[in-house]
Amino acid sequence: MSTRPAPTSYDHLRVLYRTLLVLATVSAVILSIGLVQFAYFEPIGENTGATATIVGVYKYNSTTGQIEGSDRSEFPREGEFAAKVDWSSLPSNLVVDARWYDSFGTLRGQVGPATPADLADKSLVPVLVPEGYHFVLPGRYTFVVERLRNNLPVEVLGRRFVRVDRT
Amino acid sequence: MIASADPQSRLRPGRYRIALAIIALIVVALVVSSILNYVYLDSIPGRTSLYGLLAVVLIAFGTFILVNAYNRDPAMRRKSLIRASVLIGLGALLWLLVIDVFLFTQSAGPAVAALCALACLPTTAFALVVVRRMDRNHKEPWRLVLVAAAWGAIVATSLVVWGETVWEQSAQHALVPGPGLDTSLAFMAGILEELSKGIAVLLLFLVMRNEFDDVVDGIVYGAAVGLGFNYLESISYMTNIYSIFAPEGAGGVAAGVQWYGRQVLGLFFGHATYTAFIGAGVGIARQLPSMRKKVIAIAAGFIVAIAGHFAWDAWAALFPVDTTIFVIVEIHLRTLILEGPFTAALIALLIFGIRYEGQNLREQLHKEAATGLGAILPEEVPILTSPWQRLKQRLHALNRQGVRAYFKVSRLQTAQLDLAMERWHRERKELDTPLEAEQRLRERVIQLRHWVPAA
Repeated sequence: MSTRPAPTSYDHLRVLYRTLLVLATVSAVILSIGLVQFAYFEPIGENTGATATIVGVYKYNSTTGQIEGSDRSEFPREGEFAAKVDWSSLPSNLVVDARWYDSFGTLRGQVGPATPADLADKSLVPVLVPEGYHFVLPGRYTFVVERLRNNLPVEVLGRRFVRVDRT
Repeated sequence: MIASADPQSRLRPGRYRIALAIIALIVVALVVSSILNYVYLDSIPGRTSLYGLLAVVLIAFGTFILVNAYNRDPAMRRKSLIRASVLIGLGALLWLLVIDVFLFTQSAGPAVAALCALACLPTTAFALVVVRRMDRNHKEPWRLVLVAAAWGAIVATSLVVWGETVWEQSAQHALVPGPGLDTSLAFMAGILEELSKGIAVLLLFLVMRNEFDDVVDGIVYGAAVGLGFNYLESISYMTNIYSIFAPEGAGGVAAGVQWYGRQVLGLFFGHATYTAFIGAGVGIARQLPSMRKKVIAIAAGFIVAIAGHFAWDAWAALFPVDTTIFVIVEIHLRTLILEGPFTAALIALLIFGIRYEGQNLREQLHKEAATGLGAILPEEVPILTSPWQRLKQRLHALNRQGVRAYFKVSRLQTAQLDLAMERWHRERKELDTPLEAEQRLRERVIQLRHWVPAA
């Protein structure tokens, strides 16, 4: 019996090995595209040093459009809530907006984009109940005040997290 | 002195040392991550992670004893099997208790958790049967396929908890919500989940090299690990989504959609495909001659798996899916377009691997038949090389002699193929077991032949 691998067998293995290398090369390109995508949406050097003052997150009455009670980080499912932003804390030359995201990363409320001066009368940013639903969905909500450049959010100027209970 | 197929091989002790080092690292990682989860997160997954630690260690230790039981002599084997069964049984019960009490019970209730687990069981079992049958020349033992699935479900999922939590929390505190954050989380899932699943495949290769023959075996074990991971992930997503939408009266529908997406549409496309690529890399490395190429092949498998996972997580949301009736077509198209190319490439590797394996087994069966030692007869070669002919032979035995004859013929066929596989690896200098092992296989075939009734 020969102690060396049959030449035809080795060729088959080489084809498998090379095919895997080709697939790995394509995969490396895919991952590189991912890195470029990340760099595009998260550009380096976009730090103005400005900080937005988020006064708090409060229980919100959608009928009156007013907030009630004290600043909280946890709300019951049936309760509506809104963040209060002090827009005067930001330089007037920036284009900014404020957004709520739910735990799926879906936009659940927004004001802006505009300059801080234009948003002065929009200090309350309520979370919107999804269309066709009775309450907001439970989970972790993220509130951000962002700076935009060319309509693209490039810097977070303020951030708050709020938990909505399941029950 | 017993001759070895590759007397100069220094790989064997090295393999076991690497395997032990990996196991030690896994245990340390689990302990550290569980304690950190509990101390810093104090969330439900954190508590599950800590309380489930004992279950994970029991299952890991039990599976290690189980896979090694078949390397021992028959007297010790029985003892090892009993020990392994007790440890795995205790671990599984403890794990279920932990999951029920601390995770799913608090989000959806034990009844919903049990229903979700039951709903995912037949689909996952079906997929495991299909995956095992893909190796049409030389099927892997069920015990190893199930061990692979159990590692994917329990050990791999536990390994990622701390890493993913830290990454996710850091990213949510530092990045702009939207596509940048989503891309970061896609990298997180691709890298951490594929590494944790890939470790299971790598350990199987290091500890059970005799049952890890080539690229086909790698694909089978990798897919089994992926299916195990997918099983537990499906239950977790179904219960979570149920608890979110239940107050709106849509909990059942939401969980059902998750079940369809993960257990029907994505059953073979998602985790099974990704981890099968890791297995393919390890399987190809198994037969490569140089250490450098082995490392490259294993790394290549990991890169493909990570990229496949990343592509789905990062770009699935970019695919247009509207709210009209066309959504049904669109979600299928999305899976086909984003994951289809990876699955198609894997199938191509599998088909090529099966042909490669089949050709070599045929060659070895002919060579063994030509020796005249009686383990394989020349007229048996065409039967052994065809899965359909083998099935026909077993059914023939079933018709004539009953169920016991069917299984006896099955055992004989398996032993004959084991012998051909052993010859193939020995010819390629891919074995470090002594030549005596081949002779023992030959004797076993001859012994089995005496037990098989004349067909």
